[in-house]
Amino acid sequence: MAMSRTEAALFEASGPKARRRIMIGTTISVIALLALAAWVVYRFYIEGQLEPQYWYFFTQLNVWEFIGAGLVGTIRAAIGSGAIALIMGLVLMFGRNSKIAPVRWLATTLIEFLRGTPTLLFIYFMFLVPSQLGLHISTYWMVVIPTSAYASAVLAEVYRAGVAAVPFGQKEAGLSLGFTRAQNFRYIVLPQTMRIVTPALVAQLVVVVKDTTFGYVVTYPELMVNAKVIIANFDSLVPVYLVVAIIYILVNYAISKFANWLSHRQSVKFNI
Amino acid sequence: MKQLISDYGWQFIASYGVSLRISCIAFVLGLLLGTVLTIGRISPIPPLREAINVYVETFRNIPVLALLVFIVYALPDLGLVIDYEPCVIISLILVSSAFTCDNLRTGINTIDAEQIQAARALGLNFSTIVMSIILPQALTAVIQPMVTLFISVVISSSTGSLVPLAHEELTGLVTEINNKEAMGVVTFLVASILYVLTGLIIAFIGRRLERRYATWR
Repeated sequence: MAMSRTEAALFEASGPKARRRIMIGTTISVIALLALAAWVVYRFYIEGQLEPQYWYFFTQLNVWEFIGAGLVGTIRAAIGSGAIALIMGLVLMFGRNSKIAPVRWLATTLIEFLRGTPTLLFIYFMFLVPSQLGLHISTYWMVVIPTSAYASAVLAEVYRAGVAAVPFGQKEAGLSLGFTRAQNFRYIVLPQTMRIVTPALVAQLVVVVKDTTFGYVVTYPELMVNAKVIIANFDSLVPVYLVVAIIYILVNYAISKFANWLSHRQSVKFNI
Repeated sequence: MKQLISDYGWQFIASYGVSLRISCIAFVLGLLLGTVLTIGRISPIPPLREAINVYVETFRNIPVLALLVFIVYALPDLGLVIDYEPCVIISLILVSSAFTCDNLRTGINTIDAEQIQAARALGLNFSTIVMSIILPQALTAVIQPMVTLFISVVISSSTGSLVPLAHEELTGLVTEINNKEAMGVVTFLVASILYVLTGLIIAFIGRRLERRYATWR
């Protein structure tokens, strides 16, 4: 990762004594890191986790197809939640910025509630309560409704910060041209808001992807659930969970790098 | 409602206490670990910096559930058996320390490079610069994001409901009550209110702290 100016200031050319200390530090940390890696491999080895029986099935195409199907499930849920949150977040933001006081109160309460409640609690709610009332909901919606509810509340605040970041002169200029409040918002404020908030919207997708793992609870076929099936089939726990964890990390890493790139490109400062 | 209070009132309070305990331990240890790692991350030792970068990207991007499942079910196969509650706390520490690192990095970047150049000109060494110039300013600059992090640690402590804890935390209790008897909406609402209020209180304390240090700066 590129160093900032502040960090770079720490690393100006150092004298012979400091250089020696850095050398010693480097040596010690390399040895420590190697020792750590060796210890991990040794753990795998003495517990027999390096045996081919735990790994061979990764050469089978259908195992990867099944993992891929899990990933598709994860992506489907994430895109569904993301799309709903994009719109519901906007609606909640309008509510919170409304001129009508009761609407404002309602939207504020809703946002605080959805943001402050664990998604997992909400998923248990969707899992247990509708069936008590005799309603049937598919596992997809059991995951997507809570995940998107949380994301909507967060995005409402992101949008709000974006609207506030549009310079006031822009709004005044629009109104002085005779735009109505709605037109002003539609043609002047909203386009600029969207440009400002795009990186934050993308970054929030990481949270959505993470939340889809709660599909594990309701056995919606996403990555975690499919991993469990593979584990049951091949009796290999550590390698499968390891691979799945790495997939999640890579996917989310890619998303956050993309968000960083977007915000870097715009070089817009946020204070959310 | 009355039945809920008489039957489960105390359990609700106890479970809420467990949730708070898990969250507070995880947040405080995560803050400490994150601070130590941040020092390593800005140290002049390249392999250490790289290793910590990998650590941060790993635990920032892994879902808490996937991490918890790994610690609970995969580590015993590697000969590491840990009790359920420490498992939950460890997974939250790993994640919150990674986010602490990330926040502190932003905090450090708010400090003018000139301050560090001045300190170096005065002949201060790395550890003095870090302890008396960088950390105090970086920590006060990140109060707001750390408050947000604390709230999400409280929220994430609900993943404790996925493993059989000795004393259930709030989300686990609610599911247990609902599995035994259908008291649906009310139990969820009570738990939800507890979580939301906790978040609001933490946010309130955070704003107070921030105002105090804002005047100090």
